[in-house]
Amino acid sequence: MAARDRRARGGRGFGRRGFGRSHEARTGWMFLSPFVLLFALCFLAPIVVSVRAAFHRDLPTGGGLYGGGELVETFVGVENFAQVLATPALWAGLGRVVLFGIFQIPVMIGLALLLALLLDSEVVRRVTVFRLGFFLPFAIPGVIAALLWTYIYSPRLSPINQVLGAVGAPIDFFHPQMILVSMANMTTWTFAGYNMLIFLAALQAIPRELYEAARIDGASEARIVWAIKIPMVAPAALLAVLLSIIGTIQLFNEPTVLATVNPWMGNDFTPMVLAYNAMTGQAQPSGAGPASAVSIVMAVFAGVLAAGYALAQRRLAR
Amino acid sequence: MEHTVARAAGVLAAVAALAATSACAGTQATTTAPSPAAPGTTAVTGGEPVEIAYLHRLPDGEGMTKVAELAEQWNEENPDIQVTATKFDGRAAEMITKIEADVQAGTAPCLAQAGYAEVPSLFTRGLLADVTSEAAGYADNYSAGAFSLMTVGGTTVGLPQDGGPLVYYYNAAEFERLGLTVPTTMTELADVAKTAAGQGKYVVAFQPDEAQYWLAAQAAAAGGTWFSAENDAWRVDAAGEASQQVAGLWQDLLDSDAALVEQRWGDGFRGALNDQSLIGTIGAAWEAPLLAGDMAGTANEGQWSVAQLPSFGSEAMTGPDGGFGVVVLRTCDHPAEAMEFNNWLNTQIDALVSQGLVVAATGPMETPEAIRTFYGGQDVFAELATANENLNPDFPYIPTYPAIGAEMAAAADRAGSGQGTVMDIFTTAQEASVSSLEDAGLPVAR
Amino acid sequence: MSAAWGAARPRRATVVVTWLVLIGALLYFLGPVYWVVVSATKSNQDLYTTSGLLPAANHIAENYATLLAWTQNQFWRWVGNSVFYSAAAGVIGTLVSVAVGYGLAKFKTPGGAAVQVAVLAGLLFPIALLTVPLYLLFIQLGLVNTPWAVIIPSCVSPFGVFLGRIYVEASVPDELLEAARLDGASELRIFFAVVLRLLAPAMVTIFLFIFVATWNNFLLPLMMLTTNELKPVTVGLYGMMSYFNPQYGAVLQGALLGVLPLIVLFLGLQRYWQAGLASGAVK
Repeated sequence: MAARDRRARGGRGFGRRGFGRSHEARTGWMFLSPFVLLFALCFLAPIVVSVRAAFHRDLPTGGGLYGGGELVETFVGVENFAQVLATPALWAGLGRVVLFGIFQIPVMIGLALLLALLLDSEVVRRVTVFRLGFFLPFAIPGVIAALLWTYIYSPRLSPINQVLGAVGAPIDFFHPQMILVSMANMTTWTFAGYNMLIFLAALQAIPRELYEAARIDGASEARIVWAIKIPMVAPAALLAVLLSIIGTIQLFNEPTVLATVNPWMGNDFTPMVLAYNAMTGQAQPSGAGPASAVSIVMAVFAGVLAAGYALAQRRLAR
Repeated sequence: MEHTVARAAGVLAAVAALAATSACAGTQATTTAPSPAAPGTTAVTGGEPVEIAYLHRLPDGEGMTKVAELAEQWNEENPDIQVTATKFDGRAAEMITKIEADVQAGTAPCLAQAGYAEVPSLFTRGLLADVTSEAAGYADNYSAGAFSLMTVGGTTVGLPQDGGPLVYYYNAAEFERLGLTVPTTMTELADVAKTAAGQGKYVVAFQPDEAQYWLAAQAAAAGGTWFSAENDAWRVDAAGEASQQVAGLWQDLLDSDAALVEQRWGDGFRGALNDQSLIGTIGAAWEAPLLAGDMAGTANEGQWSVAQLPSFGSEAMTGPDGGFGVVVLRTCDHPAEAMEFNNWLNTQIDALVSQGLVVAATGPMETPEAIRTFYGGQDVFAELATANENLNPDFPYIPTYPAIGAEMAAAADRAGSGQGTVMDIFTTAQEASVSSLEDAGLPVAR
Repeated sequence: MSAAWGAARPRRATVVVTWLVLIGALLYFLGPVYWVVVSATKSNQDLYTTSGLLPAANHIAENYATLLAWTQNQFWRWVGNSVFYSAAAGVIGTLVSVAVGYGLAKFKTPGGAAVQVAVLAGLLFPIALLTVPLYLLFIQLGLVNTPWAVIIPSCVSPFGVFLGRIYVEASVPDELLEAARLDGASELRIFFAVVLRLLAPAMVTIFLFIFVATWNNFLLPLMMLTTNELKPVTVGLYGMMSYFNPQYGAVLQGALLGVLPLIVLFLGLQRYWQAGLASGAVK
């Protein structure tokens, strides 16, 4: 144990060994560079294009009913931002995703953690069936999941309501008061097993001797979970929560699927739905400029939330 | 901060350099052109065939004449104009997004499928070619109403393929059993609906998800024109007299529970057809094969019929609910050759009918056997062709029409559940049309 | 192995509750999958007229024929494409992610913190909005309509980077690296021979995530690929759904057949998870 602690804090081998700092930097970058290049190509460059678009607008210049059949990209300053910030649908959408995240993320992460701990316990020896079974929903393509849930939630065909209806308590999954719960269920179904796998991998990376040592010291199983396992999955859990926060702000698939059979949800139920439909010209405001502006607002919002969570987490951990 | 930016710039430069080398390598390996040549627009020099790329969204399903097969047939007969047909698997809006990027990059196909209501939007965005002179020679091959939908402010941009005039579908056997007559006017429709409702059946369904085109088409059938020109600006009349008439009908039907309220593409609609609680519906011509498919293998087989839409206004007229044509994109180098194929393609009536289309080309459409059987031996496509000819010829769309659909559907959903009125749908359309036009920088007459 | 000796036998009640929770969860996750399986055997008509919980007349063969007809006999080719794109992106993406994780965790790399912030910031931006700019960029690079247009963006996994870093911190002891360096091993050799071996379970996890994410990615291949022969299976299935009267049974069967390679992969990777378990105990 002591040795472990030292190696965790003892710094990185290089400094002590006396290799030059620049050598270490070069080696570090050798490992970083492939990803950094790809990231620059696939993320940074498009983001730069997109941010630029947020300050521009394609405007007709030709005059007449159809603007002369030619659009010219025009610099409009912060006009797009002013417009999207004044769009009530954006704020309503942000409100919805925040509400959604407040109950969905804890439930999903909690469920994932519970299942991972159970599978890592001594009770279950053969975990394959469970691991695969929990993960399978993530492997179902979105287009099929759409079909699946519109059927399962369908007022007329729902197999769930066939059962619940028999006892006189059918659920209206599409009711405006219910729709967030229905969406949360879809998200949890898809991603709980995914997060479970992350936690399970972290748990299984813990050297088993730690448990033995603890048991010899007389620790109960509950104590081992609390004092060893939970702290060891904490970094993975932090990451999972951060990504869930970001994913929730970008919630898109579930509202899009449900809106096909619930037109009252409109084309702007969540900020991401608004951004996508603005991009494809199917919502107001319309066009690449406003779409980019919406996504930048979302990114800032998600960034603030994620940073806030990370800070709070750090403070709590102390 | 400075630092990060500088570094990011450096990285980008490195990527660009890398990209440049790999792009060069790719070019050397594949073609001799100095820049990547657009697939749809390869230049002809010295007897080389013209290459035309065509992007479509037809189903290409089981038992249909595939678009690629049609292209193959054309290619054999026309060695000078070689066509490559590709199916796009996404939705219409996604295809437009891709085409827009392609036009920007100069790699767009020559021909692409586009919905009639999307054509003005594509035109305004500068994506379409002016093929007015090329199209003039082919105009006689198509129904005038459909051809006019491929013309934007006097500029023809392609040829029509498929039409969607509203018609009335009904279960003739059930109508007879209940002693109902097929309605021919709006008033009769309301009466029949109420009589049927008294006997627990619906002869009509209110479909909020289809509001944008379905209700607009009804306003067109009532003689309305939503969008017209006034001093080189748009005059929007989506909540005018014709719309009010349509709203009156549906409000009456909803208030008296004489119309089933279901989303057209939800399970409930199909379920109501299958259990025969819904025995009639106002639908577009292209729904004929869909309804037959939805009800195949049920008691409905052989019982249904198609009739003209009851007249909503003073004369027997119908309105356009959907449909699409094939446009020529602006970056096409060979518009004349593209139009030659375009016309040939759109006059392959049998093949297009096999894809489930009600073709815009004039000429006899043979009703496919399965459809004829479902509709009790009726020559369905002859009936649909009549509807095609009765289209309101003056119902153009504004360039921002795609942007107002969701708001209309949401308003229709509220009307259907009693939280709003049917007229609200049209006032929503009016307001959204005006605001979307202004937002796009297009002139609106006040 | 050693854990088994030390463990106290769990109490009976604990065992029962654990199994109840696990089986309950399994039902929750697999219930909807059961619906897909049952529905894939039904005709379009039966799907809407019979209970979703029970099988109806067997239409497996008809649905399969429909699937092949609608995909113009390209179905298995598309599955093959999906396997290829996902595997390539998975392998490259995993190596790249673990390398960054290692570089960040074990070296004082100047700019390392900035890279992490940039990656996190990159995540904040909705990826769907980046697809069009990326498409334009790839047109310039001549990558459009080649497998690379799907593989390259798919192997960039910010999530994999962070996961890689966390796993490296947890399971790669510095002593081992130092020992290897004293033996005169080069940094690359240490990475490939020592570090990757220790990271097997983590890499399997990252690989699986990238593989499945690539498999299910839809917008990217929809934009990037036009040739029929290059399509991945999800785009093909979506194409069957984008018209008004889809052949549900065939589409669902296609989805199930498409998931089979994923299941095989999952079971195949099982071994490495176990191997990782063992190597985690190596000092």
